[in-house]
Amino acid sequence: MNLTPSQWAALLPLLYPVVGACLVAIMSLDKDQATTKWIRAAMYGTALLAVGATFWYLTDLWTTGSQPAFYQLHMDRLAQFTGIFVVVAAALTILQGWDHFHQEGWVKGETLALLLFSVSGMILFASTTHFVALFLGLELFSIPLYALVGTVRARSESAEGGMKYFLTGAVASSCFLMGGVLIYGLSGTLDLAIAAPVLAAKGLGTDPLVLVGAALLLLGFLFKVSAVPFHQWTPDAYEASPHPIAGFMSVATKGVAFIALLRIFPVAFRELGVVGVKMQAVLAVLAVATLVLGNLTALVQTNVKRMLAYSSISHAGYLMLGFVAGTPAAFNGVLFYLVIYLAMNMGAFGLLTAFGLVGEKTTFDDLRGLGWKRPAMGVSAAIIMLSLAGIPPMGGFYGKYMIFRELVATGHVGMAILGVLASLVSAYYYLRFLVALFLQSPGVEAERLASDRPAVHAPLAGASVLVCAAIVMAGGFLQAFLADGFARRALVEGLGLLR
Amino acid sequence: MTWLNSHPLTFLVFAPTLLGFLIMALPHSLGRLSRMLGFMGALAVFVLSLAWLLGHSGTGATIFIERAPWFTLVGLPVDYHLAVDGLNLWLVLLTTFLVPLTMLGTWNSLKDRIGTFAALFLLLETGMLGALMAQDLFFFYLFWEAMLIPMYFMIGVWGGDERRYAANKFFLYTLSGSLLWLVALLYLANKAGGFNPILMGQAASALPFSVQCWLFISFAVAFAIKVPLFPLHTWLPDAHVQAPTAGSVILAGVLLKLGGYGFLRFAIPIFPAAAMHYAKPLALLSVIAIVYGALVAMVQRDIKKLVAYSSVSHMGFVMLGLASFTVIGTQGAMLQMLNHGISTGALFLLVGMVYDRAHTRMIADFGGVAVKMPVFTAFFLIVTLSSIGLPLTNGFVGEFWILNGAFLSGFGWGRLYASLATSGVLLGAVYMLWMFKRVFWGPENKDEDSGTHHLHSDLNAREVAVMLPLVVLILWMGIHPRTFVAVSEAPVANLLREANAPPVRTFVLKPAVHQAPAAHEAGHEGHAAEPAAHEVHR
Repeated sequence: MNLTPSQWAALLPLLYPVVGACLVAIMSLDKDQATTKWIRAAMYGTALLAVGATFWYLTDLWTTGSQPAFYQLHMDRLAQFTGIFVVVAAALTILQGWDHFHQEGWVKGETLALLLFSVSGMILFASTTHFVALFLGLELFSIPLYALVGTVRARSESAEGGMKYFLTGAVASSCFLMGGVLIYGLSGTLDLAIAAPVLAAKGLGTDPLVLVGAALLLLGFLFKVSAVPFHQWTPDAYEASPHPIAGFMSVATKGVAFIALLRIFPVAFRELGVVGVKMQAVLAVLAVATLVLGNLTALVQTNVKRMLAYSSISHAGYLMLGFVAGTPAAFNGVLFYLVIYLAMNMGAFGLLTAFGLVGEKTTFDDLRGLGWKRPAMGVSAAIIMLSLAGIPPMGGFYGKYMIFRELVATGHVGMAILGVLASLVSAYYYLRFLVALFLQSPGVEAERLASDRPAVHAPLAGASVLVCAAIVMAGGFLQAFLADGFARRALVEGLGLLR
Repeated sequence: MTWLNSHPLTFLVFAPTLLGFLIMALPHSLGRLSRMLGFMGALAVFVLSLAWLLGHSGTGATIFIERAPWFTLVGLPVDYHLAVDGLNLWLVLLTTFLVPLTMLGTWNSLKDRIGTFAALFLLLETGMLGALMAQDLFFFYLFWEAMLIPMYFMIGVWGGDERRYAANKFFLYTLSGSLLWLVALLYLANKAGGFNPILMGQAASALPFSVQCWLFISFAVAFAIKVPLFPLHTWLPDAHVQAPTAGSVILAGVLLKLGGYGFLRFAIPIFPAAAMHYAKPLALLSVIAIVYGALVAMVQRDIKKLVAYSSVSHMGFVMLGLASFTVIGTQGAMLQMLNHGISTGALFLLVGMVYDRAHTRMIADFGGVAVKMPVFTAFFLIVTLSSIGLPLTNGFVGEFWILNGAFLSGFGWGRLYASLATSGVLLGAVYMLWMFKRVFWGPENKDEDSGTHHLHSDLNAREVAVMLPLVVLILWMGIHPRTFVAVSEAPVANLLREANAPPVRTFVLKPAVHQAPAAHEAGHEGHAAEPAAHEVHR
């Protein structure tokens, strides 16, 4: 089969990570990979190169403004946005992974290969409305993540978390598949964007089976964004997985799931007005539950990773509020929020690596006094945590601002009040991170352990955290540029919204 | 230089932050240099603000204004809009004055991380100045929230034993008010199509009255928490007592003022009708704050806590003056805000000075301090008297105007509340003088563990240099208050006229001509009697 240059252009962003993954997998056959520095460097270098090539290619597409397609695979602005989002997260993960796996004494090339496969799957997932491609993408990014969560086989809870994630994820995937099957069976087409008008024309818009199908599809998405009540796997999986992987999951999985949700429900299913409305009501209820449960549970965590897991659940709640508002400007806010959220959460998990927390030693007590020992990391932590709490002038505030503003404009004042109350609660546990870093002095035992601990040199993780903090600050001062120049263009030119 | 000539306010607001970042970048070992750098920077900002702002003052109109569109997000334009006018001129100067003074006054109070403290102090100055000058509500909100961050760390890192609790309480308490306020702000901005207070006022007047009331309440709660107005004051004693001296001074001196200023600048002009509607509850809460704060202050055993509760009482006067909706009452509130910044700031500084020596603040640990520290006692006495409101000191003028305004106000409750609030003045004298007696007079406390025993030295030259300008201001404001309120008279009168405040009741001796409650006249030609207020004022 001969492909046109345009078709190649649509495929290349998926192929670069896959080629990189294959190369890394071959290199990881070397038996001495854990001890030989050059092979490790080569693997990480290859992975970074693959990610960098994808990034370069996507930004090139973005600047030229072309939106190539390969059949149902639309590498449009929104897909390019997603691709850039995912590869930036992956690059930060790789940088942090170098230091983290070194600290853990667990260096395996497979992790990188799996990560790259996952990247490819994510880009596919967010760039199509064709159900089979969608499902392929979902599985292609999920299965490597199941393995990555359980990657540190030396720790028993790692395997436990991985297994838990895998089992629940498999159920969610099959529900997603069932939903697609129902829609296909009734409409006769696998392309969801075509299925909607067909169903509407047949007068099946309010058919219970269509509703069930749509609900099952929604379930699949909500599982990936870890919305209540499909959130149970999140804290265990995050706690089990290596810090950078947990960061990657919290950011990239959630991000692509939200973007795919945006592509399917408000846009492709626009014709099925009733489904959209009903799903909005469901989303509203679940968003409230997510905000309340995520924030309240995060309050009582003593383990930083579990706190961050519940915090990421609550952030899913804010993003869902954007869908509740459902206006193009609200989706603009959702995309902006995702960009800042990428920096905030990659930064937050990167901080754990940068402070040299390994194994189970990730409680708040383990952080005591570290902010003063590593001032640059401390300041970054303050920026990131305050941004997560939504305090201006950090970028996180503007994400919430845009979403709340649309909620108020569409008459959901009660939801907006609930949202701000939720972020008030969240301020407490984010402050707790800073309390541990700055306001508490390290205990005698902690001091002794700190001196026992191998010297913490995490230059790459540190650098990645600084980058994240810089993005968060930039989000606070270049907010209009990010929202209009980046997020809005993805919506306007990618989805045809906001025209 | 041309940039500086056209952007003096930008410079004043952001220069401290730039310096703060520079100091943060310096290593810990250069703490002493950082402290000196921070002090010199703050002093330079004060001198420049004095030169620029006073050099141009004289009228009540806007003295400086910088305005440019900043960004438009989700359809709402936000302006980069800073201005200094009659309402905020002296508060701005108070801020730039107190920051270097406090740095000098607490020069040796902190032992570690002094460089970081100086940097945070400068960031805080940016937040305060920005909030005072910002005219766009979104812009104001940014500074209002950002201000919490440095204060949080100042209390939390350098505070007393309960510092973490106090810092979290301060942060979350204030945040709760301002987050709910944000929703109201968004609601109104949505109607007005932007954050310009004038547009917002127009949009608000078109809304149903009940909606206006809800919006006003959310504004009022956010500001009342900062003031703090009873019953939203409970964060204050914790924050004040746990904060290091410098934090307490700035908290009392400037941060609390922002609450009152917020009412004057935003809440009342945007919702005049709702503000009138809630004048009585506001005044009632103010009176409760005055009396309750004074009563609680009376039974405190910790001097700092006593001063903290006296703040509640004094800020109650400010709110009473604002709620009276008379020119003289509002002017009194303006002056009382400055008074409170000077007097309570000075009290916290003095308490800090004695704490640095004795390492205790318990009243019972002292006694006969006058013998050991005569100079200190003299300063403390002057500040105490000013806090009580002795004539010829600043406290008298402010409280008198406020009581006068409340008494004359067109509201039916005015006289009763003014009479009740007057008891606050009396109670103020009780708790301050009683504390003064127990600490300074009487026989010297010879106990080995007592605070007095540890007082080895009187104030040194640095501390005297800190107190002298404060004492000069106390007397100046008491003798010639017009220096400080002349500039705000026109804006205040204008504000009340536009708010349709009820006319003042002229003071008549014969009860026979007592008029019907004037609240009904609010809608009519309400300002006919205002010259009377001016007469009383002069």
